[in-house]
Amino acid sequence: MTAVSPPPERTWTAAFKDRMSRTLPADQVLPDRQPAYVASWIYVFGVLTLAGLLVVVASGVVLSVGGSAWWHTSGLGHFVNSVHLWSTELFFACMVIHLWGKFWMAAWRGHRGLTWVTGVVAFVTSIGTAFTGYLSQTNFDSQWISGEAKDGINSIGIGGFMNVLNPAQMLMWHIVLLPLAVGVITVLHILMVRRHGVVPPLGDEEASS
Amino acid sequence: MTATVQPRRHHRVTPDSHDYPTRSYDLVKEFVIALVVMTGLSLVLAGIFSSPDDPSITMSDWATNAPADVVATAVGELAGTTTSATYGAPYNHASEGQSVLGLKLQKWGGVGNPVDSADLVLRPLRQENGNPLTKAALAQWDSLTPEQQTAAATAYADALAKAPDGDPAQVAKGDYGPLPALAFSFLRLAKSGGLEGSLTSSGDFYGGDATRSMLLLSDGAYLEDAAVADRLGGDQWGMMNEVGNYPGQPWMWLYTFWYQVKPFSTSENADAQVWMLMMGLTLLLMCLPWIPVLRDIPRWIPLHRLVWREHYRRRVG
Amino acid sequence: MDSVFSAGKYFTWGVVSISATNLLIIVLMVVVFVLALVVPFPHGQPDPPPVRAAGDDPHEEGQP
Repeated sequence: MTAVSPPPERTWTAAFKDRMSRTLPADQVLPDRQPAYVASWIYVFGVLTLAGLLVVVASGVVLSVGGSAWWHTSGLGHFVNSVHLWSTELFFACMVIHLWGKFWMAAWRGHRGLTWVTGVVAFVTSIGTAFTGYLSQTNFDSQWISGEAKDGINSIGIGGFMNVLNPAQMLMWHIVLLPLAVGVITVLHILMVRRHGVVPPLGDEEASS
Repeated sequence: MTATVQPRRHHRVTPDSHDYPTRSYDLVKEFVIALVVMTGLSLVLAGIFSSPDDPSITMSDWATNAPADVVATAVGELAGTTTSATYGAPYNHASEGQSVLGLKLQKWGGVGNPVDSADLVLRPLRQENGNPLTKAALAQWDSLTPEQQTAAATAYADALAKAPDGDPAQVAKGDYGPLPALAFSFLRLAKSGGLEGSLTSSGDFYGGDATRSMLLLSDGAYLEDAAVADRLGGDQWGMMNEVGNYPGQPWMWLYTFWYQVKPFSTSENADAQVWMLMMGLTLLLMCLPWIPVLRDIPRWIPLHRLVWREHYRRRVG
Repeated sequence: MDSVFSAGKYFTWGVVSISATNLLIIVLMVVVFVLALVVPFPHGQPDPPPVRAAGDDPHEEGQP
């Protein structure tokens, strides 16, 4: 009579790995082929937005080396600030063109509703991040913007919690909290695009009874 | 006997994208090219157009360029008539604040950042040790009852408003108690450059929170006048704009649009109303995939035929 | 009060007021969007079917 050994306990690691593989198979994370209908310049605006975001973050990292007031007294600092401003403008321009394209392609079809939702959330969170950036300029702009914005924030009852007149708080929201949020949402958004694949053309639908 | 015929429900089923013929597509190369393009464009635009850096308005600037405004603002704080003194939450209980659809959101937020507007003037003066004029004026102020304090401040504020250019030197003679001396001391303190420090640090070594300085500055007209001259005012689409010819925030166009039109342009609850409207529109945008009619617009206006024209041509042929 | 700062160039039609720079940005975005839709994208065809190695398929050309 041989003893029957109990089945090996499934490790958390194995369970997590299996879950991830089912959600996003390895060959879908970074495929080297795309459906043939992915053949229009409108498709590049997603990756341009992502690239723009990285330039914004990189220029922000350089600014953080000098501190929030560095750019007022340093020529290099002022140039880096300019790169940060213009990359932000480019980022928003590409994101909006990407949004226009995805709307006219009805890209939410085929169970891609959550991809659309994360895109909109990324848009709104980016606006919040830019807003706290404008508050962190430590110049006339941030004085005026904070004075005006406080009325909007206070009117809905969150002014005691989010004090736009407090640069020490707003700077940290701008460089820590909100970029983290934008980053996480962006990663989720892109993973969802990889999981579902690029939406097929309108008109290719089959009617089912 | 015939079976009951169920009405046919037509659901469109989007095909699986993996069922289509594919072709080689180098995502990593595309990303690298995108990064080079965006970096290059950012560097070139930054090099050519730079970025604005209009210096902050200091209290000393304000006191030097608009002394009558500083005096009027200081007296208004003591009389309890300034914007901050009558604001409500989160600074004080002086007003219920804004509401929208019957929801008193501002009041419900609570006084989470209490600021005594009179202290915006009095605390810096108290911290300024050694000046006999200031000490005497403060002693006289402290000896008055709250009603007497308000009456004196209000009387002096009215007199200032009647004086030519609001000039304290041309105020009609009258008994304004310690107000003229307090205002004069405050103006002198502002001109000296020490006012921000005493408002921002409030006795501590480290500052960082500019709330008190900003509330005081915003209670005056000088900051707003400068902003309006730069087309940054609320009823000038200011939320979209930047100083000079620099690019602003074009993506804020819809948010600021509502402030330019009725009923918002004349509403006391405009901020709360516009916020709620924009939250609603954002929610609409987010839920677009599930909203009939709106989600069908791309089918009715077929711009997509341009995107997929090669595909449609291959399908027909 | 003399303003140290000066506003840039603005266009105004009724209630609408927009800076020249912002208007230019928006116009450029629309132009780029339209170009993205109409300008042909290279390599739009599916790849030709792969060439099979000899011996794999009895119907392969060249087989007896």
